[in-house]
Amino acid sequence: MVERKKLEIPEGVKVKVSQGEGCDFPVDISPMHEGERIRKGDMYVELAGPKQPGFELVMALPEDQVEDMKVTLVGKDLDELEEGKAHPFAMIYYVAGDKIDSDLEPIIERRNHDFQNYIEGVMHLNQRYDIWIRIGKNAVEKGLKSLITIAKAVMLLFKNEMPFIEKIEAVYITDRDFVEKTLKEVAMPIFEERDARVEALHDEDVEEFYSCTLCQSFAPPDVCIITPDRPSLCGAITWFDGRAAARVDPEGPNKPVPKGEILDPIGGEYSGVNEFAKTESGGVTERIKLHSFLECPHPSCGCFEVIGFYMPEVDGIGWVHRGFPEPAPNGLTFSTMAGQTGGGKQVVGFLGIGMSYFRSKKFIQADGGWYRVVWMPKELKQKVINYIPEDMRDKIATEEDAKSMEELIEFLKRVDHPVVKGVVRPVDGKKITEGWAEEEEEEEEKVEAETEEVQEAQPPLQPQMPQMTIPMPVPFQQMPQIPFTMQSGPKIKLILKNATINIDKIIIKKKDEERKENNRTE
Amino acid sequence: MRSIAVIAVTGKGGTGKTIFASMLILHLCRKGSLLAVDADPDSNLPEALGVEEVEKTLGDVKEVFQHTRDEIRGDKSIWFEAKVFEVINELEDFDLLVMGRPEGEGCYCYTNNLLRGILRKFMKHYDFVVVDCEAGLEHFSRKTIDKADCVVVVSDTSKKGLKTAERISELMENLGINARKAIVGNKITDAKAEEMIENFASRAGFEFLGALPYDNMVVENEMAGKSVRDLPECEFKRNFKEVLKKFESWCLS
Repeated sequence: MVERKKLEIPEGVKVKVSQGEGCDFPVDISPMHEGERIRKGDMYVELAGPKQPGFELVMALPEDQVEDMKVTLVGKDLDELEEGKAHPFAMIYYVAGDKIDSDLEPIIERRNHDFQNYIEGVMHLNQRYDIWIRIGKNAVEKGLKSLITIAKAVMLLFKNEMPFIEKIEAVYITDRDFVEKTLKEVAMPIFEERDARVEALHDEDVEEFYSCTLCQSFAPPDVCIITPDRPSLCGAITWFDGRAAARVDPEGPNKPVPKGEILDPIGGEYSGVNEFAKTESGGVTERIKLHSFLECPHPSCGCFEVIGFYMPEVDGIGWVHRGFPEPAPNGLTFSTMAGQTGGGKQVVGFLGIGMSYFRSKKFIQADGGWYRVVWMPKELKQKVINYIPEDMRDKIATEEDAKSMEELIEFLKRVDHPVVKGVVRPVDGKKITEGWAEEEEEEEEKVEAETEEVQEAQPPLQPQMPQMTIPMPVPFQQMPQIPFTMQSGPKIKLILKNATINIDKIIIKKKDEERKENNRTE
Repeated sequence: MRSIAVIAVTGKGGTGKTIFASMLILHLCRKGSLLAVDADPDSNLPEALGVEEVEKTLGDVKEVFQHTRDEIRGDKSIWFEAKVFEVINELEDFDLLVMGRPEGEGCYCYTNNLLRGILRKFMKHYDFVVVDCEAGLEHFSRKTIDKADCVVVVSDTSKKGLKTAERISELMENLGINARKAIVGNKITDAKAEEMIENFASRAGFEFLGALPYDNMVVENEMAGKSVRDLPECEFKRNFKEVLKKFESWCLS
């Protein structure tokens, strides 16, 4: 952790200090001023912004180090700055309180934006090192002459609205060198540390998740559950965004969801989530396993950036993103699958996700995570390549390796993908799939023994393959593939086993009869 | 707090609604602070107002947000708000926001939800907001602009123009836009045509604001790509003053 300590004010720079709460506010302070634009023509000065360096930062310090309500201004004050120009600007707040630690810093810091905007004639935009402030001529005319007045007003608002802040002290800087130096040496390392902490936050570290029901307008039963390990499936909302929104508007589309009891730590099932989903979906969704693909999957509104699809032929999972127009090896395009999956339903075998879920440490962990993934478009794979475990990077096919199921099966065998011999899920070391290597061998033997009739039937069929998978209308696309793959020998039987239970009985009786039956169904 | 009026100007393409909107903007901006919103990708409101170049539109910002939101650190809504503020064109006597290109693929639920909050907070600081929008009232149906006080439909005497007015009226009802509605005739050549629109107005529950003539001066000005600021004194302008009077007593009373 970056050490939090007070700034050392350089010597030889103009410094102004003010202590205590006493201060006259010549301008109005109220939330109604939020959103007010100070137009260029009405502006007295601009602070930070696109043309000048600047930042805002909150640092938690031990109580004995913070001098409550003290303001130190380093550099020129408002009435000394050249009018109509942009100037460098930094705002640093030291805060202390029993409940305050560095985790709270960004939450406190975010409110600086609101409080600055409460002040009549002050416009504050953006955050961190992108802040952009304008002070209006109207405010200066009313008597706002010092940045210390602004600091005092903001500090009082902080203490008023966030009572856990017991002490607060501010350092405002307009001196260019000191702004730049502090940004580089103090603020940036703290911002970086915060981002790293965000990445490292997991479902088990928080007390509550957040919901999103923004999509209910067109997917009425939809309820999205947003957790640190599972951002919204539209890709827009992280757990942090959910938390921010829920604080601003607790009755809005993002509500807190208490986790409740953990029912399945691997699949990610929580009693609180189940209860919430049941109520919010009107009973449509009763159970959600956040990190499972095949059991109680998260419902899909239709907004997802990427859709996952289970392919029984290989017992693996493929992913395709919105921008990929071609059919996946299962013969279906993104839009076709999205059409079947959307609407806020849970559709086993398909799962809509946000791009950032690929980054999650819990990415479909119940089903083997990356070790179950067999196919994704090259463009998508490139985007997420850093999150794919190294030993899997060459084992996931793209459209360059496989366009059809046959090619995919060949590819997976060639690279010895885990699905071939059975997937061991990393989360608990459990072997979750049987694999198809054995059946494969058996069938290869069968092929040798097979009658010539079947083998002869193969060549004329093969050229038709690509034609069949591409232009066929959707409802037929899945169906013809089954008899068709049956023809090409060993792979056929894998499909049979998963797709047609009735035939299992026939197999047990007589192998010859089964083949005849196959020929007949053709 | 300022009392603001959000005025939507709409109508079938080619009826002259953009000319009407821009004349209204140039008039109202002398009375108070004004935000002009170009919400019709097919119209040329900035040009009509004499704004030469609009570098960035809200649509561009939405796209940037849509594609980089994953990398935005800190609070996304604060970031987005700042970008919206950046694309507002500050002109001498009013501000201009161009909605720009239509949405691309993907889900804009979150984006539009944030935008609604930002625009609501932002718009309330103007005395007037004038929105030039297409007949589908897209930004109202998406609720990115979540309220309108008055809707003014500009119509010629064509059957289609009045049909559009009727459809807009239905749409307002379906969308729950609780605004007063008025109609103004444009490119009106005779008294009979004016009467036709007036009859329609009383039948369909519109306030009738009057009729503007077909005027060659307007056509020439438009063809030359000139702003309505450059429109010389003409019949259209004279009639517009009458319409304006009616508009003010109706809308701003």
